[in-house]
Amino acid sequence: MEIAVIGNSEFILGFRLAGIRQTYTFESDDALVSTINGILSDPNVGILVMNSKDMERVPRRLQNILEDSVKPTVIALGGEEGGLSIRERIKRSVGVDLWK
Amino acid sequence: MALRDVKPTRSELISLKRRIALSERGYKLLKMKRDGLILEFFKILGQAKNTRSELDTRYEKAVERMAVANTIEGAIGVKSAAFSVNEVPNIELTSKNIMGVVVPEIKASKVKKGIMDRGYGVLGTTSIIDDTASSFEDLVDAIIKSAEIETTMKKLLEEIESTKRRVNALEYKVIPELTEARDFIKMRLDEMEREELFRLKKIKARTSV
Repeated sequence: MEIAVIGNSEFILGFRLAGIRQTYTFESDDALVSTINGILSDPNVGILVMNSKDMERVPRRLQNILEDSVKPTVIALGGEEGGLSIRERIKRSVGVDLWK
Repeated sequence: MALRDVKPTRSELISLKRRIALSERGYKLLKMKRDGLILEFFKILGQAKNTRSELDTRYEKAVERMAVANTIEGAIGVKSAAFSVNEVPNIELTSKNIMGVVVPEIKASKVKKGIMDRGYGVLGTTSIIDDTASSFEDLVDAIIKSAEIETTMKKLLEEIESTKRRVNALEYKVIPELTEARDFIKMRLDEMEREELFRLKKIKARTSV
């Protein structure tokens, strides 16, 4: 399985240096959505890495899907996002905000 | 189950008693499962926090290095180095089982590489490219680790939520309703018995006169 990265050219360049092949850039929000959908349906991708700023541009519905997705696991880098979504989930299922 | 649907018969009472016993047993088991899951969750929580913060610091470092590399080498230089990297980090997903929750275990093969294995020429590039590459390799390592832990967390949370819901449904809905029905049947049966007794006494009084 592989790791996929979506982001602007600067973001993906570093991952290319680390040897990751599946890197995607996008021009518009629509392109972003279709790229994400393509990756979600790709059985060969185990982890999807995104920038949290790009994550905010994704429609809310797809964001939820990404957050819940286990295969591939979606990791958002930078910003609070990654912690936040998990924080919300903890609050919801345990009832106490334990993420601090 | 509404009370008017309950037939006050003895066989119904027996089956209700059985169902109550079963629900209570299930309730106890589920409660234990929930507590166990939460315990397991607390174990993961500490790790998750650590990996998250490590991920963030590594990301910041990598971005910084990237900026420096871009400034020194120029975008083209970095790009050309990036395109010649041919060692692909491969990850392997296996699954393990935590209290009935299947969680993935992610193993990565060789993210970290030596200078010679990176694919671009050592002479043609400066050390800043090496630094950037190695910091991004660190980042990918952290990503893989945190992907595993965060997925585990997600799965555990999901399971905790559904178990909690089941426990609460049993505790506050199923068991009270069943016991209510049982009490109703008991009362009705007693009442019927008393009626019967009274009737017999009446008949006896009438025949003896």
